[in-house]
Amino acid sequence: MNLPNYFLADLPPEADVTPELLTEACQNLKRNRDEYLARRSTESLLEVFHELGQSWLNPAFPFRQKALEFGPAATGFSRATLAAGIDRFFAELTGGKLHDLIAQDLGHEQRLDDLVANTLERKSSRLGLVRGPNLIAHICAGNIPSPALRSIVLGFLVRSAQVVKCASGATLLPRLFAHSIYEIEPKLGACLEIAEWPGGRAPLETALFREADCVTATGADETLAAIKSRLPIRVRFLGYGHRLSFGYVTQEVLSQIKLASVAAHAAADVAAWNQLGCLSPHVIYVECGGRASPEQFAEALAIELARRETIEPRGPVTVETAAAIATRRAFYEVRAAHGPETRCWFSKESTAWSVVYEADPRFQRSCLHRFVYVKSVANLKEALQAADDIRAKVSTVGLAAPESRALEIARELAGWGVTRVCPLGQMQNPSLSWRHDGRPSLADLVTWTDWEHEIYAS
Amino acid sequence: MPSHSTFSEYSARLREFISRQSGGGSAAPSSVTAETSGQFNQLALTLFALQFYHVPVYRRYCEARGITPENTTAWSEIPAIPAAAFKECALSSLSPAERTTVFHSSGTTTHKPSRHFHNHESLEVYEASLLPWFQRHVLPEVQFRFIILTPGPALAPHSSLVHMFETVRREFAPNDSMFVGSLHDHEIAHRDPEVGKDAFHRVPRISGSRPEKVRDGVESVPTGVMESANADGGWILETDQAWAALTHAASDDRPVVLLGTAFSFVELLDWMIGKQLRLSLPPGSRALETGGYKGRSRALPKAELHGLITDRLGIRSTHIVCEYGMSELSSQAYDRVAGAPPFQISNLKFEMHRTFRFPPWAQVQIVSPETGKAVDDGETGLIRIYDLANVRSVMAIQTEDLGIRRGEGFELVGRAAFSEPRGCSLMSTAAP
Repeated sequence: MNLPNYFLADLPPEADVTPELLTEACQNLKRNRDEYLARRSTESLLEVFHELGQSWLNPAFPFRQKALEFGPAATGFSRATLAAGIDRFFAELTGGKLHDLIAQDLGHEQRLDDLVANTLERKSSRLGLVRGPNLIAHICAGNIPSPALRSIVLGFLVRSAQVVKCASGATLLPRLFAHSIYEIEPKLGACLEIAEWPGGRAPLETALFREADCVTATGADETLAAIKSRLPIRVRFLGYGHRLSFGYVTQEVLSQIKLASVAAHAAADVAAWNQLGCLSPHVIYVECGGRASPEQFAEALAIELARRETIEPRGPVTVETAAAIATRRAFYEVRAAHGPETRCWFSKESTAWSVVYEADPRFQRSCLHRFVYVKSVANLKEALQAADDIRAKVSTVGLAAPESRALEIARELAGWGVTRVCPLGQMQNPSLSWRHDGRPSLADLVTWTDWEHEIYAS
Repeated sequence: MPSHSTFSEYSARLREFISRQSGGGSAAPSSVTAETSGQFNQLALTLFALQFYHVPVYRRYCEARGITPENTTAWSEIPAIPAAAFKECALSSLSPAERTTVFHSSGTTTHKPSRHFHNHESLEVYEASLLPWFQRHVLPEVQFRFIILTPGPALAPHSSLVHMFETVRREFAPNDSMFVGSLHDHEIAHRDPEVGKDAFHRVPRISGSRPEKVRDGVESVPTGVMESANADGGWILETDQAWAALTHAASDDRPVVLLGTAFSFVELLDWMIGKQLRLSLPPGSRALETGGYKGRSRALPKAELHGLITDRLGIRSTHIVCEYGMSELSSQAYDRVAGAPPFQISNLKFEMHRTFRFPPWAQVQIVSPETGKAVDDGETGLIRIYDLANVRSVMAIQTEDLGIRRGEGFELVGRAAFSEPRGCSLMSTAAP
């Protein structure tokens, strides 16, 4: 791929990362951070990332081209799926949206630059300033690349040096993003490290945790617990466990005219990152009683997934993944043969997409890679009861509802514990200001200094 | 049932076929040849027609594919039912009243066990299928003592593996063999009081007031590499008993056949290592090892396990035979003849592959999970088995196991990551 050796992840595979090497890298990062990043103005950083966002959207941008050229082999996503994911992510990365995120999470757009007060603070003669960690270590899961990219942006906003530890085989996009930062501003690139090693290499992780003062991690609960247990007490830990998501389609939107477009939105959510993210739907709940039945919706969804396969193919999967899909398909074919409560629509001669309709509303975890359930429910209450087993684990609900009902449904979902409700079709497209798992992502990274100042009469 | 005569006729024809392939019973059966494949095809089509008309769930499954006996001319076109269907439905041509025995796969509290129903006649076919192929691979000579590392049939009446071991014990070493496994205490506490009265648990009549019991844990398992008895560990090895049997056997000239699951071997070997014990079984002794670990003992790579068997028990590696079978089948595959070289060695890479082979009355296909079509030699796919001895259930079984096609046989790779969807099964409404 001909990238210069700026990052540990650029080293040839035979070059082993050692704890000593990693410690040294961390210390360099922190020095660079003190020198080049700690006193950068928010405004200048926003300019850099705005420019980066625009560049990545440009089809001629060399790093984007490399991502699309080498991405399919490295990540398993097809070129079109990768392009769509890159577009979704970088369209959000604008100066304006970064500005809004800072204002939202920190209460003042200059909060990272100086002691400042917003209207509320002025009333009580208070000013506040935040600062980020010296060094953040991000332990990233390998399923999809966008969370690692987002973490990098947030880390820069709070002026932290960062080590991004990618899962095996998942470095390509973070690496290319890091190189694009390096190219636009080498001093910023010098505050970032991208590395890869197989999980569970304790000496490396111990070295990393010794240098970091904040660790973020995404992964299974057990992985998070294991990381957390090994952190020194002074280190802040932000863990994001695996989450599940589903869609909800109300009966009102299922007119014969709209059926195909609603199904196309659902198909977009299933196809995005091949359904591998926490925000991707496992199940689409569909209310009975509309002009089109849940079964008809399932069929329309199958048609849309077939259409999407022609323009944005899923791409090849391992034989193990194909076997998991084939085995699950066979299971539902037996059920479908048994009675009308189950129906199946599968891509022919491939495992590219699968739709299983079930009258039984119980939430099922999909085997992913574009395998989705459509389940029939009488109302939202029934859907939530059916999903009770995963109640604490739900991230996003993609909602297709008329305005007259949307607020009430969102209220109910919020009360039940869902942390994000968005339009169906946008599930894998969270805004930059998204509160990850219900937490203010940027605010979670910083530490405040409050100044309650006395006003002396002059 | 009017179907009896036809199933019986089929069974008689199959037993003749098995007998011919086995050279009249005791001699070694040959592998599949061009000549036998025609007979296999005829038997397969006959059995397909019987099962199509007498197993309603299977018939609907075939009809959904537009396949009927009338439009099928080759056994490879017969729809294979997923093994998981045995958990979902009563895949049987036997009415509830006719079912005398049921074999379960692993039955934990979180997973439904699969159920393979038999009557006396289908069990006879099972045994007719088992014995010659077992004998060919495990017992080329005579006069052995069996030590079996699982519970006996009274304790594990629904395990087809235990049934298999009991059948070979009865046939080949009736007087001087023993089972040295038992159940965890909590399993014994839940054990059906009727168990133990008879070699096999009788299935309570479903039509009566007593629902059929699916007891947690006891049943198990003889399936491919990743399957185990119970994830919660229903079976244990009575190590003292095992050790007594082994030391007694070691003092004698008569070779031993040690039969067990992979984890029962690990249990034995771990215990011996802990006690720093080692012995040398008489020359010609052999081990038959089957199944995997899932949640039991330590998981050991096959080569390491076999190394330990040689080291601690004095059984030569050429005498360790692996078996592949499952409760949904009535025939078994083995990876070598004890004492002989393994079945296949790739000359190109000088790699040794443990290649399993079924008897001539069971055919294997390795199919691409992506396309459903047979893969080329050396490629990986899902293992599909057409077992002519599966008379009263369904002959064509799509397993969840991955294998590499190696000539007529296959090398086992592992199990597809299939977590069975939760929810009620169709069992209650599926009886024929």
